Amino acid sequence: MSDRGANYRYVSRKRRAREDRRFIAGKGRFAADIAVPGMKHVALVASPHPRARIRSIDASRALESPGVHSVLTGDELSAETAPLFNGLDIPNVKWFPLAVGMTRYAGEWVAAVVADSRYLAEDAAELVEVDYKPLPAAVEIESLLDSDSPPVHPEHGSNVLVRKNFEWGPVEEDFARSEHTLAYRARWGRSSTVPIETFGVLSRWDPIREILDVWASIQMPNYQEQIANALGIPTNAIRVYNDVDVGGSYGVKRGIKHTVITAYLARKLGMPVRLIEDRLDNMSGGDAHGPDRLFDVTLAFDGDGTIRSMKLRAIDDVGAYPGRGPLQLGKPITALVGPYRLSSVAYEAISVTSNKTGQVPVRGFGQSPTNFMIETGVDLVARRLGIDRMELRRRNLIESHEFPWRIPTGTEYDSGDYRAVLDKTLDLADYDSLVARRDAARAAGKLAGIGIATCLEPGGGNNIFEQLLNEKLEITTFVESCLMRVDMHGNVTAVMSTTTSGQGHETLIATIAGEELERDPDSIRVTHADSLEALPTRSPVASRMAIVLGSATSEAARKIRSKMIKIAAHNLGVGEDRVEYQTGTFFVRGEPARKLEWNEIAGIAHRQFHRLPPGTDPCLQEFSVLQVPGASGQLPNEKKEIQLYPCFSFQAHIPYVEIDPGTGKVEVLDYAIGHDCGTVINPDIVRGMIVGGLAHGIGAALYEKFAYDEDGQFLAGSFVDYLLPSSHEIPMVKDVEHCTPSPKTSLGQKGSGEGGYLGAPAAIASAVNDALAPLDISLAELPMRLCDIEAAIHEKRTERTE
Amino acid sequence: MKAAEFDYIRADSVAAACEALAAAGPGEERKIVAGGQTLVPLMAMRLARPSLLVDIDGIPGLAGIDSVDGVVAIGAMTRQRAAELSPAVRSELPLLAKALRFVGHPQTRNRGTVGGSLVHGDPAAEIPLVAVALDAALEAESTGGRRVCPADGFFETPMVTAVAPDECLVEARFPVWNAGRIGTGFREVASRQGDFAIVAAAAQVALDGDGTCTRVAAALGGVAPRPVRIAALEDALTGTRLEDRAIDAALASVEAVIEPDDDLHATAAYRGRVAKVLLGRAIREARDEALA
Ligand SMILES: Cc1cc2nc3c(=O)[nH]c(=O)nc-3n(C[C@H](O)[C@H](O)[C@H](O)COP(=O)(O)OP(=O)(O)OC[C@H]3O[C@@H](n4cnc5c(N)ncnc54)[C@H](O)[C@@H]3O)c2cc1C
Repeated sequence: MSDRGANYRYVSRKRRAREDRRFIAGKGRFAADIAVPGMKHVALVASPHPRARIRSIDASRALESPGVHSVLTGDELSAETAPLFNGLDIPNVKWFPLAVGMTRYAGEWVAAVVADSRYLAEDAAELVEVDYKPLPAAVEIESLLDSDSPPVHPEHGSNVLVRKNFEWGPVEEDFARSEHTLAYRARWGRSSTVPIETFGVLSRWDPIREILDVWASIQMPNYQEQIANALGIPTNAIRVYNDVDVGGSYGVKRGIKHTVITAYLARKLGMPVRLIEDRLDNMSGGDAHGPDRLFDVTLAFDGDGTIRSMKLRAIDDVGAYPGRGPLQLGKPITALVGPYRLSSVAYEAISVTSNKTGQVPVRGFGQSPTNFMIETGVDLVARRLGIDRMELRRRNLIESHEFPWRIPTGTEYDSGDYRAVLDKTLDLADYDSLVARRDAARAAGKLAGIGIATCLEPGGGNNIFEQLLNEKLEITTFVESCLMRVDMHGNVTAVMSTTTSGQGHETLIATIAGEELERDPDSIRVTHADSLEALPTRSPVASRMAIVLGSATSEAARKIRSKMIKIAAHNLGVGEDRVEYQTGTFFVRGEPARKLEWNEIAGIAHRQFHRLPPGTDPCLQEFSVLQVPGASGQLPNEKKEIQLYPCFSFQAHIPYVEIDPGTGKVEVLDYAIGHDCGTVINPDIVRGMIVGGLAHGIGAALYEKFAYDEDGQFLAGSFVDYLLPSSHEIPMVKDVEHCTPSPKTSLGQKGSGEGGYLGAPAAIASAVNDALAPLDISLAELPMRLCDIEAAIHEKRTERTE
Repeated sequence: MKAAEFDYIRADSVAAACEALAAAGPGEERKIVAGGQTLVPLMAMRLARPSLLVDIDGIPGLAGIDSVDGVVAIGAMTRQRAAELSPAVRSELPLLAKALRFVGHPQTRNRGTVGGSLVHGDPAAEIPLVAVALDAALEAESTGGRRVCPADGFFETPMVTAVAPDECLVEARFPVWNAGRIGTGFREVASRQGDFAIVAAAAQVALDGDGTCTRVAAALGGVAPRPVRIAALEDALTGTRLEDRAIDAALASVEAVIEPDDDLHATAAYRGRVAKVLLGRAIREARDEALA
């Protein structure tokens, strides 16, 4: 049992997410549902070659095809627009929406055809003749460090985009005084978030009003700024509609190149232009793949299991066009040592470019691969020392009385009770009987294993780690804002300024506003202001909405409440300190008959200036804009120490798997998870995030991979080859909550949008390795395909019989 | 993923369908569409681009299951799900009933047809595997008349079968085993439930009164360009009592028959090893069922 909800009316209570209604009724409004008169459609011509010089493009036959309006090539577009944003300081790596002179991955878009329908556009796209000269491609991750690997961006000089070395704390001393070291490798395969809805965008240019209207399936910070920079038009000439429902994202809905193509064409042709990716566009050319990482790690520890230090090298293959992707090497610095008491860490972060689809941020922004890397090491230490994996974790976990805890990188963890969550999860999993079940299965000749991962979910999105990888990105402001008003009838409206891709922000805001104002959340209207009507948002990344927008909502509501108390006090003829507010009634403390109702105060504020306290502005509207809470907003010090994310959620994952030794097939039969994201705002949404995140993580652990062959040809461009788990592959999930409120947020909330995903890959890998332990096998490459598992078993058995 | 332009005809008889196919010009790619579960996605990806599509969904009599004289005849347009749930299939072709549960998902089986799966001829598909295991006879019609092809020889290379572009498969006839105690076993491994098998194994055995195996059919999918029978294994096991030892020894003959390939999901070596594992399990399952 958790202690949540004790003092709350709406927060933490089981209440329906208000967004469910429209989605269940099929009344969501997604990018592809939006149509404007005269709208034209784009289809893309994609390169079949991983790397090739473009000798010429002949669009003449395509232009004669019925219903075609234009064929756009990279030469034209790059002459008319500025390159797209790169997070790293790599001025010679130029990214344009369409290939210029050279294609850098199989599937890269080479030309865009505009026609009256998508069918006609696809017909014409087939008629665009591109003369390619194929070239050898840069593919294998370690070879990309070599100076003689085929240059993806010849002007840049090598395939290494950034290489940074950090050392936090006394690494060499810690290594010298540790009794043991252990070196291992962990490989995180190229997977991603693959949403049901692909990316879609509709752009319309109004030459009279000089405004570009954009409806998009977007989840990205600085979207209109990036559009403005590319097109060379003012930011206030762009209106992005944030009320478009986004059908799944978790980081990947970043169609800046799609947007620039449609916006450029809309302006050039004077017609609204839309581009809805189909699945093939999305998987091969949408630049929507996630991290692809190779970790080389050495841990230093003592015989009693105390882990002191870690030396880590991470190589991340970001594909051909890096965008913001490489910064995903930076975010994990936030929780680089996980929930453990390491006193030092050395980190070499290397970002390499290859002839593969570009990388985008994916749920957790690099934290899930990092957690997998850490947990793999902890399990290996346990195996080496013969210490129980749970016990080893207990010995290394930060203890509840030690918070706030500062890790070597300079970030302070806000709060937590990791052992309590682990214990709750062990209870939930009924650990002793789970062990008995595993051992019985083993006795019956099966391979069976229990997994464990104890890991962190940093939340809040204080992205100053960007500065650690690129000094020129001197950005320290990461805000969200909420505008709230009470109208003349007393009805409350709250305005946010970001799109929502399944997180339930309307529920979040209505619940918090309802709690603060003691009004029924269902009566509170929540709207999404467009980009001209509100401050910019960092977008719902890094679980930052509950933390930053949630706190801003609290603050705006509290301002409303105090203004209403002030008006009440004036009209009741008492001092403000004598007015109390309870569920819609303002009254004089101890004299409940002397009162004013909520609606009366709203009426006074809007219509009766003569009844307002002198000097009070009329009407009821308040605004709150908040920087990420905690000690944030500074640049790193000279030791590169820095406070990154403010809030740290925690989960313990305990799955149970069985493996068919004859086929290598893994079945996840049970899954228990304990999670602590501080104060839960809406339990259903948190559970949805947990279970959905687990499914996502099980996919990354066992199934999903954007595979390339050794020549760079893309092999997984459809759902026949990119394997998403379905409900058959996901077990029933048991979950238990724990609540250690964050001291840094308005109601103690932390982030919860990533947690299932941040631990499941590590936990599943741990379970598979526990199952394989009797054969003395340990695997550390994701996804763990059945044929790789079978091959390892086969090899061991052959060895043993020889 | 929008199909290229094509003409569409909805035929009301097999003869009309065959005429439409025959009338198409020689250079024209013509295709029958049945359940559309394979063809439509291929068209959407423009990997198939027929200029003429002949829909056989509305032809009376092309769907249905009859059991006469030791043969179960399944109309080409019979939905996979209907076959799976058919009492005749369950009682007389239990091997097919078992295999059908592995074909995609209930949703795709509600649309996909028995004939479509046979003509498509995926080397890992379950229905072709059972057709080969049980020596089904496949009847096709064209404007030139009808002909019957044995399953052995029907499947040529991946996605290529004996059905000519102007032919319509009308029926698949599966002989029913009546002599002795019959048992069946079907095993497969796929990455996820509902995926095409990486390797699939089918076995059917008949035992006499004292448990001696009088007849055995064993076949594998996913390990060659077409489903394959393992004749040497069948010969070796006939006359034994299907002891585990005998089965394990007979499995050695699998290697000579299969020609597995690497693909994204599994290596050739994996397929080779797993073929034996699964066929061994399928035969044991069949034996145990016959003995039960
Ligand atoms: C998600 C999914 C999972 C699947 N999983 C599996 C699986 O695990 N195992 C498996 O075996 N299959 C699987 N399939 C394929 C499915 O079984 C198809 O239904 C089957 O392969 C084709 O049958 P259809 O009736 O849909 O044929 P269609 O798609 O209509 O046609 C397929 C081909 O057969 C031809 N054809 C069809 N009927 C005739 C006829 N009577 N005469 C001549 N030519 C004809 C067509 O011209 C076409 O070339 C899956 C499909 C999907 C979508």
